[in-house]
Amino acid sequence: MGDRLTQLQDAVDQLATQFIASINYINHHHSLETLGPRDQIVVIPKQEADQQEVDPHPEDVFRAAQVELAQDLITKEQQIELLISILPGLDNSEQDQERNIRELEEELKVAEAQRQEAIKEREETLAKLDTVIRSIRRP
Amino acid sequence: MEEEQQVASTWPPPPPFWKAFTPENVSRIEALRKEAAEGSQLQDSSHLRLNALPHELRHLQPPLEPEDGEWRVFGAKYSLKDELPHLEDGEIRRLFPDPEERDQDGKHFDRATILKRLAKSLLLNFLELTGLLATSPEAAEEKITDLRDLFINFHHLINEYRPHQARESLISMMQSQLDRTRAETNAIRDAKDKAERVLEGLSSLTVGAHSNDVAPEKVDFNAADADAWDILLG
Repeated sequence: MGDRLTQLQDAVDQLATQFIASINYINHHHSLETLGPRDQIVVIPKQEADQQEVDPHPEDVFRAAQVELAQDLITKEQQIELLISILPGLDNSEQDQERNIRELEEELKVAEAQRQEAIKEREETLAKLDTVIRSIRRP
Repeated sequence: MEEEQQVASTWPPPPPFWKAFTPENVSRIEALRKEAAEGSQLQDSSHLRLNALPHELRHLQPPLEPEDGEWRVFGAKYSLKDELPHLEDGEIRRLFPDPEERDQDGKHFDRATILKRLAKSLLLNFLELTGLLATSPEAAEEKITDLRDLFINFHHLINEYRPHQARESLISMMQSQLDRTRAETNAIRDAKDKAERVLEGLSSLTVGAHSNDVAPEKVDFNAADADAWDILLG
């Protein structure tokens, strides 16, 4: 899980992979056609089918797979668009950012000084409390 | 030739000058740097360059930046200026307008629009590609080039946006640090105030303790002590 830009980049790469996978599937599992009246489709035994360049899937399975692949492509594209629209700081310009950073830097300095001051005050109170407690315990 | 092959095939040994970095040498060069900085009235001694160093200290001074701004490490070329290569250099068609023509007022809505358009074009071009593959596969080559260009353009736009996102992350990190610091300060102040209240209560009790019976009040002191210590230490 990276930042938004990396997520977007990964999504685009996945889309490319899906393109290739879709073409690959269609290329390997389409049905066979005869080109002339004398052609014959050779029926290949099941166990050898894996080694063949084209391994026709039944018509309905092929259709369903095509639909699924197409839907996946659309989903991925929509995911990409969503990622684009939530990119951080689309409405900030570089000048805005720099001003923002400078302001934050100043505020941080102030806050840090306040923190140090508070720590000092705490130490003082601690010392005060310590002396009070010691003086009470003695009598 | 033989040497080159060796470098390319095995991980090279560390450069011999690592032996020069002994604790004594490091402290010696630091002393020399300080001296030189005082001599030339400089505040920061870490970037000062020393001339005429003793031989054994010569390696402790980092070398100068390469003059032409480029250097090679493990056979790869690097340059001082880390720039995004232009699309045109890779002979890729550029499918979006110049930075000057888009993103008015420095905002990035145009970039989002262009990216979305590219994403849609990717789908459309893929549809066209599948159609072409079915009807005239020889024409598909050109379509594949189109798709490649679209993808590369997309990545280019994303990478262009990286510095912007880096600044954006910095802002959010600073903001959260600011919130954290403020919360911590408030917590410390609260604890301090509580302790002070306990202290005040204690002082009023002390007055009472001397005039009244001591024994039962003493228990209260201890309880108050314990509370105070809890607050201060917890």
